[in-house]
Amino acid sequence: MTHTMLFLPLLGALLLLLTPRTWREEVAGLFAALTLGLGLWLWRDGGSGLYAAPWIPALGITYSVELSGVSLALALVTAFMSLMAVWYTAKRIPNPGTMLGLILAMETGLLGIFAARDAVLFYVFFEWAMIPGLLMLAIYGGPRRMQALLKFAAYTLLGGLSMLISFILYRSLGGAETFSLYGLNLTGADGQVRHLSGLLERPVTGPAQTWLYLAFLVAMAIKLPLWPLHAWLPSFHEENHPSGIPDVMGTLYKVGGYGIFLYGITLFPDASLELRPILMALAAFTALYAAWIAFGQTNWKRLIAYAGLSHMGFVALGVFSLNETAVIGAMYLLAFQNFYTGALFMAVGMLQERDGSLDTRVGGVMNQAGALGGLTLALWFASIAVPGLAGFIGEFSVLLGAYQVNPWMTGLAALTVIAAAAYALTAFQHTFWEGRPLGAVRVGDLKQTEWLVLGLPLLVAILFGVYSAPALSLMQPAVRAVLGAVGGP
Amino acid sequence: MLTVPDVSLAPMLPILIVLGGALISTLGGFWLPRRALALINMALLLLSGVSMVTLWNSGAQTFGYEVGGLALASLRADNAALLLGGTILIGTLLTYLVTWDTAYRARVSFAEFDAVLMYAVTGCLLIAFSGDLIVLLIGLEIMSLASYVLTTLSDSPRSEEAGLKYFLLGSAGSAVLIYGIALLYGATGSFNYAEIAARASAFGGLEATNSAILVAGSLLLLCGFGFKVALAPFHQWTPDVYSGAPTSVSLFLSTVVKVAAFAGMLRVFSGALVDGPGWLPVLAVFTGLTLAFGNAAALFQTNFKRLLAYSAIAHSGFLAMTLLGPPNLGGPAMSYYLLIYTLMTGAALAIVAALQRSEAGMEIQDMRGLFYRHPAYAAALAVCLASLAGLPPFAGFFSKLLAFQTALQGGYLWVTVLGVISSVAALIYYMRPALLMFMPDRTPAREYPHGQRPASSLAVALSVTAIVMLGVLPGLWYDWLANPEIWRLLAGR
Repeated sequence: MTHTMLFLPLLGALLLLLTPRTWREEVAGLFAALTLGLGLWLWRDGGSGLYAAPWIPALGITYSVELSGVSLALALVTAFMSLMAVWYTAKRIPNPGTMLGLILAMETGLLGIFAARDAVLFYVFFEWAMIPGLLMLAIYGGPRRMQALLKFAAYTLLGGLSMLISFILYRSLGGAETFSLYGLNLTGADGQVRHLSGLLERPVTGPAQTWLYLAFLVAMAIKLPLWPLHAWLPSFHEENHPSGIPDVMGTLYKVGGYGIFLYGITLFPDASLELRPILMALAAFTALYAAWIAFGQTNWKRLIAYAGLSHMGFVALGVFSLNETAVIGAMYLLAFQNFYTGALFMAVGMLQERDGSLDTRVGGVMNQAGALGGLTLALWFASIAVPGLAGFIGEFSVLLGAYQVNPWMTGLAALTVIAAAAYALTAFQHTFWEGRPLGAVRVGDLKQTEWLVLGLPLLVAILFGVYSAPALSLMQPAVRAVLGAVGGP
Repeated sequence: MLTVPDVSLAPMLPILIVLGGALISTLGGFWLPRRALALINMALLLLSGVSMVTLWNSGAQTFGYEVGGLALASLRADNAALLLGGTILIGTLLTYLVTWDTAYRARVSFAEFDAVLMYAVTGCLLIAFSGDLIVLLIGLEIMSLASYVLTTLSDSPRSEEAGLKYFLLGSAGSAVLIYGIALLYGATGSFNYAEIAARASAFGGLEATNSAILVAGSLLLLCGFGFKVALAPFHQWTPDVYSGAPTSVSLFLSTVVKVAAFAGMLRVFSGALVDGPGWLPVLAVFTGLTLAFGNAAALFQTNFKRLLAYSAIAHSGFLAMTLLGPPNLGGPAMSYYLLIYTLMTGAALAIVAALQRSEAGMEIQDMRGLFYRHPAYAAALAVCLASLAGLPPFAGFFSKLLAFQTALQGGYLWVTVLGVISSVAALIYYMRPALLMFMPDRTPAREYPHGQRPASSLAVALSVTAIVMLGVLPGLWYDWLANPEIWRLLAGR
């Protein structure tokens, strides 16, 4: 079932090529919904076990996938937000076949990133998800997209290859037989079961581990993103289609925190401990710095991009702290920020559709489009971690856990919570309150699909803000297992 | 009285069939139209491929002799030769499919073109099948001379300039190479790879004067090969020749000829000189320079065909990385890379040949919006470029992975790091045209507007299918190469 869930969106994307123009929205919606349904089914079953098979035996590359714990949670979020993106695309973009195909193709890449349990397979999906992202930007982007494209692609590939080299060296120095994390059981022709060792069974130790961790971190720091490797992010979001749909997928693609969690902590436990103070400082600085920059933004997309960057600083702080509470909080935040950040991008897209501008200094939208304003405000509350919404649980757990490890850095990061309220509410005030300028177009309120696209993510954010147990119980065992490698906080 | 020499012809069959095609084209041009010759030659190429399949695992060799218990031979149809020869044939077939549509426009639609092309392929196969330096040299010269002529054949000042440049620099390269062969013979007393390998591995036994000669000889050989495969600092001829020649010829030069030259390098440096001293660090430096120069210069190109020429230089660097590791890893890595490189570059140039207005190729700016005018070609070209950039899930990714892995295994971390950085540069110059094609555009089309291009389309479709298939299931080709025995026997040991 894992494989079906992984490749169903891709199948849908390929089928879209054959579908008549009038049916494309329905087909894409069907495949996105089926994927989400499969994910929920997997959740009901408590996740799938590890499936491992040789892919390129001569090179030790395996096809190892598993959707459980944190991976399953993130996969569910991906499937859910992809469905929202598909719905909104169907409403917003005329003749949306290409965009729908790209969303579905990217969904497979993202699900693959979360499911992969083989280092090279992880890399393959990591780069795969980039290609539809690039095409979305190329086909639907703004006037300065070429620059944004090249920056995004160059950063991603630089990180990706650095990670790949790290994995290759890890395997050759450690002497593992495969790139799979846990190894592989092969049944020979004679019925004998032979075990091929995986990366975790043949760890690299000593200074080599630290260097390899740094090489691996380049990739993850770019994808988190973490200061100073974040420069691709604002221009990527600013130049993307104003509807905010590619931004939803781009937000899902910020998988750095997950990569550090699954590969960084397990493969490089000593280096994680050794570099912990520096990395936590970087993460805390990223959170605060991004919030500071966000305060000065007048373009909604750049603002949300920096707000997202600030959240990612929190995620990084949690993961780097190696404290159980904080890591759970980080994964919780990583998963749920997709709901409100993604929905906010689409809300901004709706605003742009009505007003023609992404500027924050529009004024008075609330008077004419109350529902859009209200939902946007609620989503912002989720984003700035107001209690009762999912963002709060994540950020609070991160702060709680990280405080036990490094109170000063945590204190620094906690300032962000204040800053977040400042930048979010200021921008909201400029756009939605104040007076509507004379002669400005009349702003229509939300219609049909738009209600769903903004309302459902908000509903999920409220649900898991009030009742977090299902998500926590899904993640907790996985986090414990991973932190077992470091030997506790 | 004339006697028939006692030589086994079977191992030579793939080469003889191609040579037959060359002779038929030379004479048949008087009576047959060019397309008939092209059909005959394509059939012969396929037949040559079939004969290679029958030779698989036979270990056949000819012109053999025995020295001190070593069974030596000048022409070896071992598995390595067959794998590289097969790649050469695939590249040639791609060239033929492209010329089917474009030869007339490129003004090379006459029988001599086919004859010279088939002679060049004969030379290429001789290199792949060579068992000693003399056969290698003969093959290399046949290939080079034919390539100079091919470049010049089209009746235009650009191609004449390119051909002359190629000829002058290429002969300098050949001269250096021959000098290296002479020194190698002086140091080891043999032309045969296996014998040289045996002597060079017992290097401590060589006299002091001889060792200096051995090092000098291998370095001269390295420089000579550097000319042939376009390794920096011997790469300057490449962009002018590849962009000046007709596009179908550029396709041939940048795929088949390069495959053959690398096959020669593999034979010499992973075979004869595998334990030889001195050349490995120098090759690493050349590789690093090639990666840096090739990729950096490609960043500034405005013409797509010229960009592909620089990309060919850059890929020489990645290919040379596979020589830096042990042959049991490097051999399969290089053979895998060569096939994928042939398919990627072949398909990309086939698309250029099909769409260009003149033999100067397309300007990158003119490719804006290509997807909305020629969706299939644009999508195929995007796949080729993504694969050239080494993005998964296309086959170019695995070739790059193998190259990195081999260089790391050889202990050349700095070359690998340079490879990573230049890969990022490469991504930028490949992505610019690739993504321009998808950007909507309202200006008039600047492609060649006329004509059906069934053969080019077939070539592109086959290559792109192979690129995707081998990207998802690399084992389809890699499993043929993976056996380390093939590469241990490279020197005939």
